[in-house]
This record gives sequence, C-alpha cells and structure tokens, in this order.
Amino acid sequence: MNKLREKVRKLLKEGKVAGYVGYMLKDSHPLPHFFTKERLEEVDQAIVAPGDARYPLDKLLQQVASRYPEEIFAIQVRGCDERGLNELYKWGQLDPEKVVLVGVACPQDQADYCECPGPWASVIDSGEKCQPVAKSKRVARIDALGEEEAFKEWLGYFQKCIKCYGCRDVCPMCFCKECSLEHPDLMSTGLVPPDTIFQLVRAIHMAGRCIDCGLCEENCPADIPLRVLYKKGNDLVKDLFGYEIGSLESGPSPWKFLGDESTLETKPM
Amino acid sequence: MSDTNFEPKIIGFFCNWCTYAGADLAGVSRLQYPPNIRVIRVMCSGTVSPHHVLRAFQKGADGVLIGGCHIGDCHYLRGNFMTIKRMRFLQDLLKFTGCEPGRLHLEWISAAEGPKFAETVRNFTEKIIKLGPSRLKLAARAA
Repeated sequence: MNKLREKVRKLLKEGKVAGYVGYMLKDSHPLPHFFTKERLEEVDQAIVAPGDARYPLDKLLQQVASRYPEEIFAIQVRGCDERGLNELYKWGQLDPEKVVLVGVACPQDQADYCECPGPWASVIDSGEKCQPVAKSKRVARIDALGEEEAFKEWLGYFQKCIKCYGCRDVCPMCFCKECSLEHPDLMSTGLVPPDTIFQLVRAIHMAGRCIDCGLCEENCPADIPLRVLYKKGNDLVKDLFGYEIGSLESGPSPWKFLGDESTLETKPM
Repeated sequence: MSDTNFEPKIIGFFCNWCTYAGADLAGVSRLQYPPNIRVIRVMCSGTVSPHHVLRAFQKGADGVLIGGCHIGDCHYLRGNFMTIKRMRFLQDLLKFTGCEPGRLHLEWISAAEGPKFAETVRNFTEKIIKLGPSRLKLAARAA
C-alpha cells in the first residue's frame, strides 16, 4: 500500500497528473475517491479496495476526462480495469496519452472467484502476481448441458430480471448515449420481466468488449449469471475472429471493420 | 398445436442486389416454394443487425433466413463480410443459451440463382416445420 501511496503522492506533487481516481475509506466504507494536489494529505488514506467493494473506476474516469479533456489523470487499475482502458482507447472514448496507470495485482482468491485470465495490470504498484484462470468452469458447465436444458436454465434466469438496467449502468464499457435496450423498436417497453431477448441483446453488445470485471453480476439484484453469458461471448469472439479483449496488440475490435478478406463459411442448413 | 397444422412464420431478410433479385427470378420462372416466408428487402445483408433477428424471434418468428450476395460479389464490396461475422457469432450465442441456432440460417444466393432460392426456402421451411414452434416464441407467449 505504501508503494502505491508514494507513487500517487509523487505524481500529484510533481504535477504530472491533475488527479488520481482511486479508493478511500469513508466511514469505514471503501469508496471511490478523486485525489488532488490541493488535498495531498488524503493520499495517506488511499487504499486498494477489497475485491467485494469494487467500483467502475474506468467509467468515473471517462466522466472526469470528458469534462477536462486536456488534463492527465492517474487511475487505479486491476487487470480487468486495464483491459477496459485499452478497449476504451480503441473505441475512442479515452486518450491513452492522458492516462497514467497505478496498477494492482489481485490476490489468488479474487482471481479464482472471477475465473480471471489476467488478474494483474501491466504495472504493479500493489500486490503480487498470482495464478491466472485460463478456463471458466461456469461456462464449461453450461456448455455441457443439452440445448433444451440450457434454454430452461437461461429462461429461468431471464425471467427473474426486473429490468433495472443495473448491469448496463455499472458497466465501464457501456458508453453509448442511446441504448438499444431502451429503443422501443427493438425492445418491448413497459414489461417486467422484459423480453426474453433482453439479456441476449446485451450479450451481443458485450461480445468482444466485455472486460470480465464482473460488476454487472455483482450489481444484479436478481442474481442473473451475466458474467457466464459474457464470458462465453468473449470466448466465441476469440474462437471466430482471434480477437483478444483488452489487448492493444490484437488490433481493433472485429465489429469495427469489415476486413480485407472473409474466411468464415456459412453453416450448412 | 398438432404438428400437422403447424404453419411456421419465417422472416426473410434479403439483400436488394442479389437474393431479392434471385427471389424475383424464382417468381418469374414460376418456381414453387412455400408461402411461409415473409420477405423484408434490405439494401445489404450487412445492414441486418443481430437486433433485428432477435426481435423477429421475440415477436414470434419460427425461423429467420438471411440472404446475401456471395462473398466477393457484394454490391458494396465487403458488406457481407460483416453479415457472416455477425450471424456466425449469433448462431453460436443462440446455441449456448439453448435458443435453437438452426432457426437462423444464412445463405448466399445470387440474382441468377432462382432455383437455389426456391430450394433454400423449401428446405428451410421443411426444417422449421420439423422443429416445431420456436422455444423463444412459446416463452414469450407464456410470459
């Protein structure tokens, strides 16, 4: 923790960044906090939030950055948050030149809980690298089900939805100004539970974009295993298009360009 | 509903330049195909979003057939590259959630392929009749 605080203090003091988006204990609650040079003493209370008290810092940074586009900001990132930043750079929502990383490596129990394939940031200022989880058991379980059984299970989850839009509102990757989920031509309005396709539409939008932070699932009051759905979407995007989510090396998202050639074959009837 | 009177509703999204013209050719050639298909003409199959397909299923379609130009023949050069990306992904996602991916079919049919058009529609309709009413539709009706 001291290493992290030291880095943040230095960045703020030397004026390298205009602010730092991190966490602080407030009335014993770990909450997101915006640290500035003017209140440098607060940095003594900067923390790494425990795994079950995470917030979409990427989303907060987008708001701050759009308000002050000329300024550089530092932000605390876990592996997932950094994947998120990389995707947001690609989608033109943030400028990589204006972001400084304060990296965190997640502990093993967090990585196991998330089934995270990359539980650390490229810079580590707190924590140590642990064993990543390459394959999700939760996805494998559904994969092994028969089609009818899988449908029954998903339908059961989808029908619990109370259409609170919590999954979308917490999602650091949901930056659209207009949302298909609220478009009356694409989704029935005034229904609870919503259309059965509600979660599928979101899954399509998340494919190749979901950074697997799991905030949607933690936020969901109906306990829908959204993460499993989006994890599978990402697996499919990787299998079909070879696209690694959140990696700067793998180029733009396959949904962003047509491609120079098409190697996919149509499925036989 | 007994299987014998099951008349499926099938939505077809056909591109203006190839498959829709292929359908026209099938028509002027007086080729027979089942009337279960409702055709929506689009300027390019690449404009068909997964939203439209899902919306069709939600609203009670038993099958969705998408027709576009063969790869390389797209009027807009590479529009159908996006079609196949989207539809292959959607088929796999439907499979994972048990939503019967076979009800969504993509076929490249050129303006000269009238017989292929009629055959595709015939085969697809037969297949959908065999599958019966769509699970998504039944779930939507029950809700």
